Amino acid sequence: MKSFRTPSLILTSPWSLTFILFWVFPVTYSLYISFTDYRLLTGEYDWIGLANYRELLSDPAFLAALKNTFIFVGGTIPFTTVFALVMALLVNRQFRGRAFFRSAFFLPSITSMVVVALIFTNLYARGGYIATLANLAGVSIPIHGFLYDNTTALYSIMAMDVWMSVGYYMLIFLAGLKAIPDELYEAAEINGASPMKTFWSITLPLLQPVALFVIVINSIKSFQVFVEIFVMTKGKFDTATSVFFIYEEGLTTAFRIGYASAAAYVLFIIIALFSIAQFVLLRKRSAAW
Amino acid sequence: MRQLIVVIALSVLLGGSAIQAQTTIEWWQFWTDPSIKPTMSAMVDEFERQNPGIQVNVTDLTWANGHEKIVLAFASGSAPDVVELGSDWIAQLADAGKLYDLTPHADSLRQKYQGWSMATYQDKVWAQPWILGTRVLYFNRDLIRRAGLDSDFIPLSWNELRGAAEKIQALDPDIYGWGSNTAEKHRLYKKFMPFFWSARGRMFSEDGRYCVVSSQQAVKALEYYKHLHDSCGYVANQRGIEDAFLDGKIGFILSGDWLLKRIELEKRSIDFGTSTMPGPGLTFGTGRKVAAGFRSETYPGKSFMGGEYLAISSASEHPDAALKLISFITSDENQIKFCKANRSANPSSRTAQTDEYFQNNPHLRTFVMQLHLSTHPPVDPDWVYMETELEQAVEKVLFENAPPGETLRQLQKTITELRKK
Repeated sequence: MKSFRTPSLILTSPWSLTFILFWVFPVTYSLYISFTDYRLLTGEYDWIGLANYRELLSDPAFLAALKNTFIFVGGTIPFTTVFALVMALLVNRQFRGRAFFRSAFFLPSITSMVVVALIFTNLYARGGYIATLANLAGVSIPIHGFLYDNTTALYSIMAMDVWMSVGYYMLIFLAGLKAIPDELYEAAEINGASPMKTFWSITLPLLQPVALFVIVINSIKSFQVFVEIFVMTKGKFDTATSVFFIYEEGLTTAFRIGYASAAAYVLFIIIALFSIAQFVLLRKRSAAW
Repeated sequence: MRQLIVVIALSVLLGGSAIQAQTTIEWWQFWTDPSIKPTMSAMVDEFERQNPGIQVNVTDLTWANGHEKIVLAFASGSAPDVVELGSDWIAQLADAGKLYDLTPHADSLRQKYQGWSMATYQDKVWAQPWILGTRVLYFNRDLIRRAGLDSDFIPLSWNELRGAAEKIQALDPDIYGWGSNTAEKHRLYKKFMPFFWSARGRMFSEDGRYCVVSSQQAVKALEYYKHLHDSCGYVANQRGIEDAFLDGKIGFILSGDWLLKRIELEKRSIDFGTSTMPGPGLTFGTGRKVAAGFRSETYPGKSFMGGEYLAISSASEHPDAALKLISFITSDENQIKFCKANRSANPSSRTAQTDEYFQNNPHLRTFVMQLHLSTHPPVDPDWVYMETELEQAVEKVLFENAPPGETLRQLQKTITELRKK
């Protein structure tokens, strides 16, 4: 046993050393400096205990960023999940051109976020395609464009995010659908179950683990939303999210690494609690089914 | 014996070359555009030819993340010997003790170069001015004519600017009088401050002790800017505003010399003019012709001044070689070469500014004139925070209809608190 264990440690060392050096150490070290007033330029710092965390809780910019993050998460995940499931059900059926639609739906999720964000910035602009269509339909739109208005900017980015993410989660749901044994559908058909009844009684319960996976990873991703905010609005027009706040505080204007680390840990705790809650709730529900 | 002589000769030669060992200096800079890159390389080659013991390694930075890279390099002790800095960054790095004191070098050059004040912090000079920059008023002559104004109309006062912009705005729903920046970091305040300074607004009292940003003049400037924004503003980021201007959709915009370069390189056929900032006080009738050399107490208005500076890291092991490079790059001859290649309008060298290249081109002449009528933000390590607060205040007024007076009073309070920390 011993002779087996030693070479395995050696063989895995490239990965484990990298993991320790570039993941465990920075994460642990950032926890430490979140209790300091680390000044990046001079490298000087003093231990200030929980002062950064206390300041965060009364910082209007952080609270606004947190609020926007929750709006983003709460506003995108239900739509992304439902649309992805519906699209998976549609492309799971036999019809002509099915491969094309599967590819077309999946395409946005493998396109660069920066590229998509730049395209949507133009689409959302005053005189852009979406504004023109809205005008033709008689819908009133913000005078300077969707991204230059506090009431529409964040929701516009969320809509783009749903459009971009849905194909990826569709693929995961599709894999889940393929894993459901055909015998169950055949038995339901023999027993005269309607397609709706089959969906609610067979498809959905058996997709529960997949749905849980989709919701959890989508939540984590959405809590970390950054690129689209950075490219489309630079956090202006009430669109700054938690990660954008961390970036701004830590790496741009202020270079307050200790404060930014504290914000990162608050976000980490929120994501962890949220993920645990999702596991517990969805597992209970799954058991009830 | 002959062998001994050969050995001694070789020893002397090898010893000599060891004494003249290459000094390598690192230079980080931002000029990566294909139009300027060959000129930059040629300048470095020429410097190395003139200084055989010094080799220069040039690293290109981008404006997207150059500031972060510079700060991280200084923080990690891996800063280059020579670094190009935006004027806003100098005080922050000097305050942290990261820059080499250039005061003795600057003392003999005070009259020769413009822009020392932006590099002076706590009575010491921390960087050498290289290429400066300001903003001037661009206008579309075609739209001015269509709006019924004289073809050689130039707005001298705020009233004239507003009147002309509103007339242009009334031409067509897709035509706008004024290019108004959206909430865009590092850009919006540079558009508002020319009006603020033109109205004689000040960030701080003369002794620098008190923030006075909510003065009556400042409120007047913000109200005027808000009026332009609301009544005839095409709201977009700087690039979007310039695109729309070049497409003939906007009457007046504020922009820098890069737009001249763009117009030339993209072969745009727009009929445009440039002028110094209008002043707040004059109320001449519209369509007035500008007399050559016209001046008054309130015309032209002030504009924003910034610039590119060359500094030496305090940790540099070769400050003398670094200073040689800086002196070479910022020489009159090289500044003119640089400006010609990059179509830049504002060399820091006063001698270079008088070169016929700038004086024979009316647009470049406008920039040189405006530069001498420009003001820069306070040289303060905390300016980055103040800038953020200032931009947020302007955003609130422009986009959330917050009252200018109350918003500036709140800004004054915030900046005062910030300075107390």
